[in-house]
Amino acid sequence: MEKEAIKLAYLDYVLRKGQPPVSVYKLMHKLGATEAEFYQHYSTFAAIDREIWADFGRQARARAAEEPVWEQYGAREKLLGFYYTLLEILKQNRSYALWSLRYSLSKMPGMTPRILDDFRQGFEQFVADILRDGRRTEEVASRPMIQEKYPRAFWQQMLFVLGFFAKDDSLGFERTDAAIEKAVTLSFDLVGRNTLDSAVDFVRFLVQSR
Amino acid sequence: MSEPTKPLVSLPTTKVARAARFAKTGLNVGANYVKHYAKRAVGAESATADLHQANAEELYGALSEMKGSVLKVAQMLAMEKNILPTAYAEQFAQAQYQTPPLSGPLIVKAFRDAFGKSPFELFDTFELNARQAASIGQVHFAEKDGKALAVKVQYPGVADSIRSDLRMVKPVALRVLGLDEATMRPYLEEVETRLLEETDYQLELRRGQEIAAQCGHIPHLCFATYYPTLSAARILTMDWLPGQHLKEFLATNPTQTVRNQLGQALWDFYAYQMHTLRQVHADPHPGNFLLDATDGGTLGVLDFGCVKNIPADFYQLFFALLDPAVLADDARLTDLLTQLEVLRPDDAPTLRDLYLRTLRISLELVARPFHQPVFNFGDPAYMQAVYALGDDLMQEPELRKQREPRGSRHFIYVNRTYVGLYALLAELGAEVRTA
Repeated sequence: MEKEAIKLAYLDYVLRKGQPPVSVYKLMHKLGATEAEFYQHYSTFAAIDREIWADFGRQARARAAEEPVWEQYGAREKLLGFYYTLLEILKQNRSYALWSLRYSLSKMPGMTPRILDDFRQGFEQFVADILRDGRRTEEVASRPMIQEKYPRAFWQQMLFVLGFFAKDDSLGFERTDAAIEKAVTLSFDLVGRNTLDSAVDFVRFLVQSR
Repeated sequence: MSEPTKPLVSLPTTKVARAARFAKTGLNVGANYVKHYAKRAVGAESATADLHQANAEELYGALSEMKGSVLKVAQMLAMEKNILPTAYAEQFAQAQYQTPPLSGPLIVKAFRDAFGKSPFELFDTFELNARQAASIGQVHFAEKDGKALAVKVQYPGVADSIRSDLRMVKPVALRVLGLDEATMRPYLEEVETRLLEETDYQLELRRGQEIAAQCGHIPHLCFATYYPTLSAARILTMDWLPGQHLKEFLATNPTQTVRNQLGQALWDFYAYQMHTLRQVHADPHPGNFLLDATDGGTLGVLDFGCVKNIPADFYQLFFALLDPAVLADDARLTDLLTQLEVLRPDDAPTLRDLYLRTLRISLELVARPFHQPVFNFGDPAYMQAVYALGDDLMQEPELRKQREPRGSRHFIYVNRTYVGLYALLAELGAEVRTA
């Protein structure tokens, strides 16, 4: 039994029934396989959800990077490119995305849903990478201590975008595009060298010269 | 084209964001007035020109950030230099050239939405940095099968937001210009219709093809071929025409013969549309033409977004007004102006006389090129007389009291066409066979 086949069967079930199968046995029985084969690949259905989301992220990163101009993009544009590509993928899987988000969001409001754990790890790694590149080109200000927290902050932005997309009812989800453009602009205004750095620098000067 | 502009860092697209932007403008304009009167109250010199300048800057600052429909309104106001105080006109004129482009990933996304492909798959080469900013979109350079192409990309959400934009620009614009909403309604509706048409790139493609086919016989004109398979609702692909915009072209010091030939092509193009097609490219601002010195002067026509159909009855009345015999005949002039809704039967006799007098002077001036076989638009005295007339009319106390606009709604775009055409020909300094 292929891992991919189990994933697809699960996805198909969820999309048609709007809920996960009652038991692993039932799903595997339909596939004409034993329950044990399931556990070779996944421990629970939630593990499949996590993997599907992680796949969305992986696909979005890979597909965005296929763009011939990718290498010429700055950090801000790379993040924008990722978001827009992710949105394309989510648009094709909107029903599943909405269902899985709602299914898990309602349990723990304000927290990162467990099913996004693997997706989050990939995302934070990606953000850390582009921010490091951004520091080299001075697009992103170097702020030791604080900058380690950046990926977490960008994850909150990702959650905001997902939440916005889930509620967006505009044609072609154009408002989500605008939300992304704005959110990313704001975040890069914040991580770039700005008034705050000058203020910190000034205060440090005053303290040191006393 | 213009020097590379900074990519657009913020695009206020949501209605709330736009409304906030406008509220801010209204506030600042208000604040400028307060400053003005406060200064006056304490006896300091605060020239009204300063006030206009300050207001115009506030408005322009807001407008260039708003893009879209508002920018179009700005452009239209700028065309009518003789109506607006000079300071506004100068600030608005900037809007015709410079607005910052969108970020690269959003362009790529627009192509994916429309074609399911990135621009780099669709074309052999594609420049992600816009060569030019248009008012509701931006123009990119691309190549396919050895052909240089211009690809116009519309800002996402523009079509949806025009109506609400206009609802918000109205109160600000009306207050700044001191106009009343109810009487302005038919005119604003006319503008709104044209603006909405402009967001429809499929319509523009059709019209561009039509007009190019019908005007192809006019010498020294050059039209771009459109590519329907590479175009969509928000993307328009056409040939990249050679040539420069007016300002840059004039900087190359073209000879008078070249200028005349270009001016003649421009005049013939408009005369044919006006008199034969009765459908006219109503956006003659410098950004929509490319001038080239090859073949003694070739004129490239861009952007068929704004096309005005001229109804037969309006056409007849309008061109009857330009007849010198009519200008000499009070009764006929009154009759024509009444039909065109400029004069009203219930006007007081003194007011009617005032209108008749001022209109006769303006019509004589505006129709002058039509009354001569050859007209030199390069004569600075003529354009000065036109602008001076505008200033004089602004000073006329009785006319200033008349707050409501008059005349058929079709005047807006026909006037805009001629004002733009005259301004272009004047800047070109061309001598044109007009009869």
